[in-house]
Amino acid sequence: MTQLPYAIDAETPLSQAELDVLRAQYEKEDVMVGVQTKFNYAWGLVKSNVRTDQHLGVMLLSEIFRTSPERRRECLYYLALGNYKLGNYAQARKYNDLLLENEPGNLQASNLQALIDDKVAKEGLMGVAIVSGVAVAAGVIGGVLLRNLGRKR
Amino acid sequence: MANFAQRNEFPDPPSSPEDESSVISTRGLEAFGRKVTTTASHLMAPLGDPTAHPHYQSALSEVHKQLRRPALQRSVFSMARTTPTDLVRSTLSSREIQSRALSYVPDEMLKNIPEDDNQYSLFQGFQATFPEFTEDGRKHRRRVSRGRKLLEETEHGAVPEGPQAVNKLRKEKASMMHQLEMLGVRKNMASSEIREIDNKLANLAGMRKIILERLAGLEQEEALLEHEIVEVEGRLEEAQELADDAEAAALQTPTRSDDEADERGEGFMSQSIYEKLPSANSTPSRPRKPRNIRKKSMPILHEHFKPGTMIRSMRAHQDNITALDFDAPFGMMVSAAMDDSVRVWDLNAGRCIGMLEGHTASVRTLQVEDNILATGSMDATIRLWDLSKAHYDPQGSQFGRDDEDDGIAFENPDDQPVDPPAGSMSDCPLFTLNAHLDEITALHFKDNILVSGSADKTLRQWDLEKGRCVQTLDVMWAAAQASAMSAGDSTWRQTNRAADGSADFVGALQVFESALACGTADGMVRLWDLRSGQVHRSLVGHTGPVTCLQFDDVHLVTGSLDRSIRIWDLRTGSIYDAYAYDNAITSMMFDTRRIVCAAGEDVVKVYDKVEGRHWDCGAGIAEAEEGKTPAIVERVRIRDGYMVEGRRDGIVGVWTC
Repeated sequence: MTQLPYAIDAETPLSQAELDVLRAQYEKEDVMVGVQTKFNYAWGLVKSNVRTDQHLGVMLLSEIFRTSPERRRECLYYLALGNYKLGNYAQARKYNDLLLENEPGNLQASNLQALIDDKVAKEGLMGVAIVSGVAVAAGVIGGVLLRNLGRKR
Repeated sequence: MANFAQRNEFPDPPSSPEDESSVISTRGLEAFGRKVTTTASHLMAPLGDPTAHPHYQSALSEVHKQLRRPALQRSVFSMARTTPTDLVRSTLSSREIQSRALSYVPDEMLKNIPEDDNQYSLFQGFQATFPEFTEDGRKHRRRVSRGRKLLEETEHGAVPEGPQAVNKLRKEKASMMHQLEMLGVRKNMASSEIREIDNKLANLAGMRKIILERLAGLEQEEALLEHEIVEVEGRLEEAQELADDAEAAALQTPTRSDDEADERGEGFMSQSIYEKLPSANSTPSRPRKPRNIRKKSMPILHEHFKPGTMIRSMRAHQDNITALDFDAPFGMMVSAAMDDSVRVWDLNAGRCIGMLEGHTASVRTLQVEDNILATGSMDATIRLWDLSKAHYDPQGSQFGRDDEDDGIAFENPDDQPVDPPAGSMSDCPLFTLNAHLDEITALHFKDNILVSGSADKTLRQWDLEKGRCVQTLDVMWAAAQASAMSAGDSTWRQTNRAADGSADFVGALQVFESALACGTADGMVRLWDLRSGQVHRSLVGHTGPVTCLQFDDVHLVTGSLDRSIRIWDLRTGSIYDAYAYDNAITSMMFDTRRIVCAAGEDVVKVYDKVEGRHWDCGAGIAEAEEGKTPAIVERVRIRDGYMVEGRRDGIVGVWTC
């Protein structure tokens, strides 16, 4: 599938006015909402920088996934992308891996996989750094305390 | 397992988020996490999203599973899969958990991912619908406008030169190609949306069919129950009579005869006037009380069929149908044919109830109203019948011994109709009206007034209560009067078409209280006042004999052998609307929505007044495809969208309209 957006596309938020257009159409169709309209709104939400919007977007995407089987495959990618933006890397990876299983040659999916790996590694390292920082600090404080105690004795 | 878990409670060297708080106990943290999830579940519950609920449950159980996993295992696993912030969020923030639950996709769905054959991806759809929302689209747009300007410049003579111009043109071409692609996507989108809607429509149609079947079942049950009620009512009456008799016998008082007389008198008063007459001559010991076959419920099934659907077709006679009428949808129908027979039908079962015998020539016109039937015959007599006195077991049509016969009766319209038991109608005749000198060609009755038109060029008004003629209206005299009054412009004009002698002198008439409308062979429609016996208005317009006529409170509709249908405004007497068919109109009737006509074709011509649309309904449509040509429709009647038509070969078709 070559008709999928790259992750970078999801990083450029729409303006509020544009998002409003999408929402208006989604709300206008109400119960009879079509898949495309739902996706348009969901995609606009996922592109947003607001976390609650992103959540809603992912929720809508999962609805599309549930209700229209013929769209499932591409929805996997959108879900992966949405979760990636949310920072739910475990979920993102789950969906993306599933898509790659089905389509090993999917460029966008491989691209996304690399991005997820990157993010995980980076944030993981940060975590290690923080933890080790905390440990060092605790050690130093502990040492000082012990020394003080020792001195008092 | 417990020991193992205990051992693993030690702070884990890898950088799982719990490590930051590992100075406290990890177990405490897990308990906290569990609490959060349960709180979340309580928060979630009132949301009551039915679709999300099961997913939420499974999501929760997954979260729980994750929590129950030993810390070491989990952290190692998560290290490889995701980042600490993700983990913290997924376990600690109730908001996050909630949204995760809402967007959870069950595993079985994840396994079931069909090969897609979509023409375009949803993202392409998005791009195509909102090109200005995507980076790409924005760029292209700008380019396009620049390209256009460029093109215009070239057109205006400033020929661009050099590689720059080539580049520009290339860009222009690229953007145009892109636009073309987008247009293709949008086209596909539209067509797939149409397909989606088609699917939805198909689903809805399926549902409609199911419910229609349910409605049919309910109506069947209703009809059955109704018949049972009638039966029980009959028995109740009989039992009541017996009880009364026993009481009277037990009393044995000297005033017995008076009592009886009173009782008889009361009985007569409560009965309708029509039942009074025959009971007077009939033997005192009537074998059976007349049953009231009138419907208590209104069938509505036919309203939900597609217009033009055939409900039933039956061979009613072996000859040209000359007259037919029915009282209500799925009620009782009476048909008369050239073969001199008059048959009564149960439209619900498609079964012949009986034959009415008495006329010595064929019946030209008839009307059914509330179990009362009036027939006008070529033998110059009018007979009145009470159809409620027919010996007919409606349930026999659905159950019991008649089942097989019945199947034949309405499965194959070409079969001989099942003969009803002889004498089933022997109690029906009420009385005969003879005074006319020639064949009766039209009649109509309303309440106690019956008006008949005859080939002896007179109209007669009858009082049904007394059973005698109360007024005779001479059409020729009225015509002469009119010509004398207004210098001969509305005299009797023998039309060309009437010259062949085939048209009835009085083609049609209808009465309502003191108002009478009659259409005659000279193409005139005369409105009479029965109180004065004068024509108070003549409607001139038809150029051939009037064959059919009907009015309601606003309009009068007439059909004529001049092939036209005219709709008159009763208040002004002017033409309101008119239209024509290819052949002479032989029969016409309208209900609230449609005007149906028999116009010398094998289909019934329908004019939908609401939509202003003309369409055909009848056997000619379906059977033309099979290469058959059904007989020409001669008579047509419609009530509440339930249409009955009689053809020249004796077949009667029932349709929704």
